[in-house]
Amino acid sequence: MYPDPDRPRRVGAIDVLVLLVLLGAGIAIGLRVSDVLVYRWDWHFLPQVLVTRSDAGGWRPNLLLEGLLTTLRLSLWAMLIASVLGLALGVLATRVRLLARLVAFGYVGLIRNVPPLVFIFVFYFFISSQLIPVLGVDTWARSLGEGGRTAVAWLIGPPDLLENLLSGILCLAMFEAAYIAEVVRAGIRSVPPGQSEGAKSLGLRPVQAFRLVVMPQALRAVAPPLANQFILLIKNSAIVSLISVQELTFIGTEVAVSTGRRFETWIVVAAMYFFLCYALAWLFARMERRSRLAYAR
Amino acid sequence: MRIITGALFAIAVTSLAWLAGPASAQEGTKAQQALAQESVIEVIKRRGALRVGMSTFVPWAMRDKEGELIGFEVDVARKLAEDMEVDIEFVPTAWDGIIPALLAGKFDVIIGGMTITAARNLTVNFTDAYASSSMGVLANIELAEGMSWPDDFDDADVTFACRRGGTPCAYLQANFPKATLRQFDDQGQVLQEVLNGNAHATVSSQPLPAFTVYENPETVFSPTEELIDPGSEGFALRKGDPDALNFFDNWILVNRASGWLDERHDYWFGGRPWADQIAE
Repeated sequence: MYPDPDRPRRVGAIDVLVLLVLLGAGIAIGLRVSDVLVYRWDWHFLPQVLVTRSDAGGWRPNLLLEGLLTTLRLSLWAMLIASVLGLALGVLATRVRLLARLVAFGYVGLIRNVPPLVFIFVFYFFISSQLIPVLGVDTWARSLGEGGRTAVAWLIGPPDLLENLLSGILCLAMFEAAYIAEVVRAGIRSVPPGQSEGAKSLGLRPVQAFRLVVMPQALRAVAPPLANQFILLIKNSAIVSLISVQELTFIGTEVAVSTGRRFETWIVVAAMYFFLCYALAWLFARMERRSRLAYAR
Repeated sequence: MRIITGALFAIAVTSLAWLAGPASAQEGTKAQQALAQESVIEVIKRRGALRVGMSTFVPWAMRDKEGELIGFEVDVARKLAEDMEVDIEFVPTAWDGIIPALLAGKFDVIIGGMTITAARNLTVNFTDAYASSSMGVLANIELAEGMSWPDDFDDADVTFACRRGGTPCAYLQANFPKATLRQFDDQGQVLQEVLNGNAHATVSSQPLPAFTVYENPETVFSPTEELIDPGSEGFALRKGDPDALNFFDNWILVNRASGWLDERHDYWFGGRPWADQIAE
């Protein structure tokens, strides 16, 4: 039905033509932009904001790379929490019991119908400013020893700004969980009822049937939209810069203002996000290909 | 008889007052102690660190080549923490959310070149002024050459650009009601609008207009040398904290008298001797 994705790839005449057209368009846009934009391009600052000499004499990541690492950590933790929460909600949405479905649809309806920016402001100023001090995160972070502080810095982020980072992670996780719940619900519904009937006729209990027969098929069916949601999460993480989490977009603003090289900085930041999302997309494509080969239809 | 009754009455009242005196003084002390314990100064001492909210704005605060914060506000905050014998923690915050973040308790004080205005003072307390600044005008040569300030600029065809949440926006809205105002999230975008010729002019805290004219003399100019809206800057803190207000006021007083504040201000604003510290 569609060309075999494992066929050997060759570069043909049409490929070369398309590349030339794209290159030409890129050059035309560049020339037009430099006409309209009164700007002096200067990329010399770039190595200095990427890496710098550490105290030990080697290299350590500087501003932009640190921002990238923070975005990565932020996204990974948010992904983890959102997956667990989204999975639970998606399963609840397919239950027969009314309470389960109300909880799931209530959560999804509340969060999906609010723009991410507004949700983050409301969550940060009203909810997390009440919740996080009660949890005592700041006092805990201060009571850590040297080793503890390094561990927290590696895993989550700088201990001084831990409260903000946790708010950001929670925000993103809650937001994405609503979308992941819908995707998981679609996956579960896509599994034919014959599967669970067959499982029950084999003597599996309902919970076992769900866990061993329905869920694996459901998740495999919606692997592409789930991967999509994870990539969207990385891009949505840029929004938490507005609650002053020191991730790539926020640091990008600081670097752009401090160095005065605005366009160069934003182009580099865009390129970093692109490569991060592209790497993730490539990873998911590989996983999909391997799972398709394992369960060839 | 009446004199004796009166005298007896006076003695009775005085002795009652004497009995009540120490009790109310004790209550007064307890109330004072409770108030002092709640002060942010005590919180800072217990925590061992001063958390300062600021925002990046050249040369008040910016990032240097090592990724560290440098600038006038950074120097002030570091000296304040040193004098309080605590560590310093900077919480870089987006400017238009900085007052809500202070009220939500994300940090103790805003040391970020915040201009003292009555509107802001309704929500936060300001210390005495520790620096003063004025605004300057930056205009696009192609669009605004020959226009006189301020009369020709109050026109429906004129577009201004300003940074959302800053005092220039309020000034422009008040004084140029006929002109169009475009608001942006950060200073860089505002300057770029004027450089590109999409906005006639912008008003911004000195020395930014002066620096921009120096770097792009063929594109932008300053239509006036007038010191627009001279204002003072103070630390901003949460309301209801007299001890902290007194402490910061007196710290500013001492450092102004010793000349330290002026010396630092001249270093950062009087020229660009620090230009090699930032990656450019």
